[in-house]
Amino acid sequence: MKKLLVITVLSVLFVFVVSSAFAAAASGMARSNVGCGLGTMLFQNNADQSSLLQAFQATTNGSFGTQTFGLTSGTSECKQPTKFVSNERLNEFVVANMDNLAKDIAMGRGETLDAFADLMQVPSEKRPEFYQKLQSSFASIFTSENVVLANVVDNVAAVSSSN
Amino acid sequence: MVYGTHCPVYFFFVIISFFFFLFPAHPALAADDGYLNALLESAKEKQLSEDRYWEILVHYKRHGSGKKSLIDDPRFFLAPGGKLDPAAELEATIRGFFQQEKGDQEHPRCRFVARYAWLKEKLDIDELRLPPVACTEFNEALARVNPHSAVLVFPATLNNSPASMFGHTLIRIDSKNQNDLLSYAVTYAAVTTDSNGFLYAFKGMFGYYRGYFSILPYYEKVSEYSNIEHRDIWEYQLNLTEEEVRRLVMHVWEVRDIYSDYYFFDENCSFDLLLLLEVARPSLGLTDAFWDNKVRFWVIPVDTIRVIKESGLITTEKYRPSQATRILAIASRMDSGFQKVALDVVNRKTSPQAVTDMDMTSQEKTKILDLTAELLQYKYARKQLGKEEYLKQFLPTLNARSTLGKQSADVYAITPPAPPEQGHLPGKLSFGAGYRTDSFFTEIGWRAAYHDLLDPDEGYTEGAQINFFDISGRYYFKEDSLKLQRLRLIDIVSLSPRDAFFKPVSWKVNTGFDRELFSDGEEHLIYRINPGGGFSYKNDLLGLSYIMIETDLELSGGLKDNYSLGFGASAGIIKKLTGSWKINLSAKSMYYEAGDEHRSMNVSLAQNFKITTNNSITCSLSREKTHDYYQSEVNLSWNVYF
Repeated sequence: MKKLLVITVLSVLFVFVVSSAFAAAASGMARSNVGCGLGTMLFQNNADQSSLLQAFQATTNGSFGTQTFGLTSGTSECKQPTKFVSNERLNEFVVANMDNLAKDIAMGRGETLDAFADLMQVPSEKRPEFYQKLQSSFASIFTSENVVLANVVDNVAAVSSSN
Repeated sequence: MVYGTHCPVYFFFVIISFFFFLFPAHPALAADDGYLNALLESAKEKQLSEDRYWEILVHYKRHGSGKKSLIDDPRFFLAPGGKLDPAAELEATIRGFFQQEKGDQEHPRCRFVARYAWLKEKLDIDELRLPPVACTEFNEALARVNPHSAVLVFPATLNNSPASMFGHTLIRIDSKNQNDLLSYAVTYAAVTTDSNGFLYAFKGMFGYYRGYFSILPYYEKVSEYSNIEHRDIWEYQLNLTEEEVRRLVMHVWEVRDIYSDYYFFDENCSFDLLLLLEVARPSLGLTDAFWDNKVRFWVIPVDTIRVIKESGLITTEKYRPSQATRILAIASRMDSGFQKVALDVVNRKTSPQAVTDMDMTSQEKTKILDLTAELLQYKYARKQLGKEEYLKQFLPTLNARSTLGKQSADVYAITPPAPPEQGHLPGKLSFGAGYRTDSFFTEIGWRAAYHDLLDPDEGYTEGAQINFFDISGRYYFKEDSLKLQRLRLIDIVSLSPRDAFFKPVSWKVNTGFDRELFSDGEEHLIYRINPGGGFSYKNDLLGLSYIMIETDLELSGGLKDNYSLGFGASAGIIKKLTGSWKINLSAKSMYYEAGDEHRSMNVSLAQNFKITTNNSITCSLSREKTHDYYQSEVNLSWNVYF
């Protein structure tokens, strides 16, 4: 009886370890948490699933169905800003990078903020002042955790045009 | 004057129509047969179907005595047998330009923009004698991507997944004077919905998946690699001219939505990106090294970087640290007490506002809140935090942070590690000699790829091992016999250290043939599957230390019941004593309780001395006890990486 128990325990352990090591991480990356505000993540995380099969996955990486020319991420489901001349690239960028943008604005620097300033066509000599203004007005740009694209872009417009 | 706003456009059209009216561009409206025949004749004369650039554009490779395109999608070919017949495809392409009936976007001139551009130049095609097409979609896409220069992008190893060592490569298309994040990235990837890992691996190896090129905003790729997968990214600036980059983008347009059967090992992401670079600059011949002069049947992304570098395409390289690397960089500049404050905010034991009121310098507060913000994002991306909780902490943290002003640029500066292409080559050939129990032996070993825990770490991730197909044979002098010592099909170890911020699990798995002592006191060949899991830690004194629980299944006709199943534990430390001297001290104890019952214990000390990038010396000592037999071994070998 003891031996049978040992074998059973061992087999279970073995199968468990093997299967967790081989756990399929092949689910690919699906879009999730799509939205217009903070916390919008472009991709579902599957990086935690360490597995042998990432050896193969890593060479292929995520796929997005057959969206092969993804020039637009789309903001059609989002309310559009009012104060800016329609600028689809700016809107897409802000939707896709809102968390990093918020972080950069709060810190007063960063690559996402630089890209944002490019899209806003802020000349480079005016950027230090622009960044500083945004940082000191952080609370009036990101007014709540439910802030969305339209609010952020409009608030930035309001802040940067005020003196 | 309301309608006046439309005036310029109409005016333009009126003028254009007027010109057409005056000088009818295509008098033979039902296709200009004479002109078509002249072009076909000229193409034949110039032997364009055998031109290297034509072969590049249609992805033809040598196939027996003829040619075969690597592309499998029939929609890529205008001639029915185009996949195997470059001449027929060329003729069909030229004929296609004269096509009248198709709508603009489906017209061959709009679909095959790179073919058209090349043939237009080679045959000096008079566009006015072709049916007019506008190709608005392509022109919009081109205007949007606005190609100016190109960058090769290599997301490096994922910390806890040695498997990702194989990495991925993509090409980024930059516009002039614009932030990198706003560029577009071209990538080739397999499309799959399979979630069964074994099926996935099998299908991938044998070409059951379809690979597609895609072009996406670079910020999406950065977010995927840097913020979610936590992979550092290497960016290699290429010296392609604007014209060359434009050609590349035109070709990507041609192959959009076109599939090729995807093979994990050779026709993979990295191989297909080499094809793109050849489209940009046909004199390169990058794929030849991997296809025509085939020495290997696989293409490892970092190898393609080496090939690209040798071709002189790379001018500079840039390191883009992942979020995890940033977190560790910020934390390394803080006392553990301050780190703890950041963790407390993350875990909602302290509010961000409270940090600003603490009795410390504003510099210290800034670091704490910067670290907090990064950690919150990290945890959210890893789903350790729900969206609600995340937002409830993230925004107040940033709010508090925004009151503290700006840090200077170099506060969190990160020194880039050695770039991946500077590491040793992935293949390994070892020549060794040693003494085991009672006999001298010599040994020859060969490993297909990729990196062993003992191999020099430059360009690789410390603690990450992945060996594919590792075989060695020994000649024992005393017995005058030649023996297969081991044949490991796969051998992965992932030692990912745990610290205050990251709590990864370390794991291992290996399978293949090994030699083991049996109850008769002799060594016999067995087949084994040996997985394990545990924890590892890093510390200045001990280096990287680990402990793991393991199970081991051994199969052999010589074992009682033909198998032996055991469990046990292993532990070890890996320490770099100097830049080129590394030691690995390890011990393992296994209890085989099912099948052939026995115990096995061993301790070993292995050392590696790096001589040059692709040469090292390994010296190992080991002692083991299996059943009731003791064995000792000393082994010295010279490793050449290739």
